Amino acid sequence: MKTILLAVVAALAIGAGAAALLSATQKTAYMAYTTSGARVSEPGHNLVGPAWTGRI
Amino acid sequence: MSHTIRIALAALVLSAGAVLAQPQPGSPSGQNPTTRAVNEEQLLREFERLDGRVTIPDSKAATLEQPQGREWRTFREGWLPWIAGIAILGMLLALVIFYFTKGRVRLDHSEESGTKILRFNTFERFTHWLTASSFIVLGLTGLNYIFGKRILMPLIGPDAFSALSQWGKYAHNYLAWPFMLGILFMMVVWLRDNIPNRVDAAWLKAGGGFLGDAHPSAGRFNAGQKIVFWIVMLGGIAMSVTGIILMFPISAVDVNGIQLNQAIHAIIGVLFVAAILAHIYIGSLGMEGAYDAMGSGEVDLAWARRHHDLWVEEQQAKTASGPQLGGSRPIPAE
Repeated sequence: MKTILLAVVAALAIGAGAAALLSATQKTAYMAYTTSGARVSEPGHNLVGPAWTGRI
Repeated sequence: MSHTIRIALAALVLSAGAVLAQPQPGSPSGQNPTTRAVNEEQLLREFERLDGRVTIPDSKAATLEQPQGREWRTFREGWLPWIAGIAILGMLLALVIFYFTKGRVRLDHSEESGTKILRFNTFERFTHWLTASSFIVLGLTGLNYIFGKRILMPLIGPDAFSALSQWGKYAHNYLAWPFMLGILFMMVVWLRDNIPNRVDAAWLKAGGGFLGDAHPSAGRFNAGQKIVFWIVMLGGIAMSVTGIILMFPISAVDVNGIQLNQAIHAIIGVLFVAAILAHIYIGSLGMEGAYDAMGSGEVDLAWARRHHDLWVEEQQAKTASGPQLGGSRPIPAE
């Protein structure tokens, strides 16, 4: 049981490490495609709308 | 005179024509002039793909529509839930039928030797549970992509489902890394013992002991376990490669490649889940004593002799003096 718990904790720790690393290196699309000549605005979070119709 | 009349008549006809040519509200000529122009649907039917020109850095934005998107959606919303449902429910049904017809594979307790043998060391068990615990979350969150909006959302509502799916996506993306590390560790520690050999052919021919009374010989891993190992290795590598491509969109392939990757990732994923359900069954409910191997790492010597006789002989040969066989100390597997 000790080994199982250790493995679960290790999985969570590696996952948290991956999250920190990826979050530090990745950008959202609107940031990645913004240049000095083209600005892409922040699209918000809920792109489908509360009723999943596309109307926000 | 007649010439003057002809000119007057011609002028009258022309002016009448000009008046009639004026657009009249409500008449066909008063409609929007672009109504009869070629539209998107006709263009798409003609060219199968609508492309334009853009000056922004993202050249992919020039593609307005392409048929692959609809084909992918048809697969994603139509075929995939059926493939996943049949694979997973089919496997569960098969396991239930197997359990009620064959029952548990039991070890007669009078046969127990009382001597334990070390089957998996700490690092091997750590590797198994690192991969397994990650896989359980990956499997559940992956199935949520397919069935969540169909099954969970009507039960818990859109807000709770949205929050759950968002956290599920984070878990899926980030716990993929310990899973991949686990696959790598498994390859290092178990590859050598999982290379197929002649003993496996005999084991399969005897149905792994399920078809008759006689229990076929097996080394450290029997043919069934080797099949599971290779499913995990090949499935794990395929899921890792397609998963990384999906995690870094447009880095390696274009949008069509992403859709293809998603389809491969989803199909292998649901088959993987179905196969692991069988592995979980036989490692817990299906076979008495099997869990101990991955739980404490030690199994009863009689169990080991029954299921992995060639491996036990190998271990005894390694410790030829074998003093530990007479006592209760576990025999090291390696």
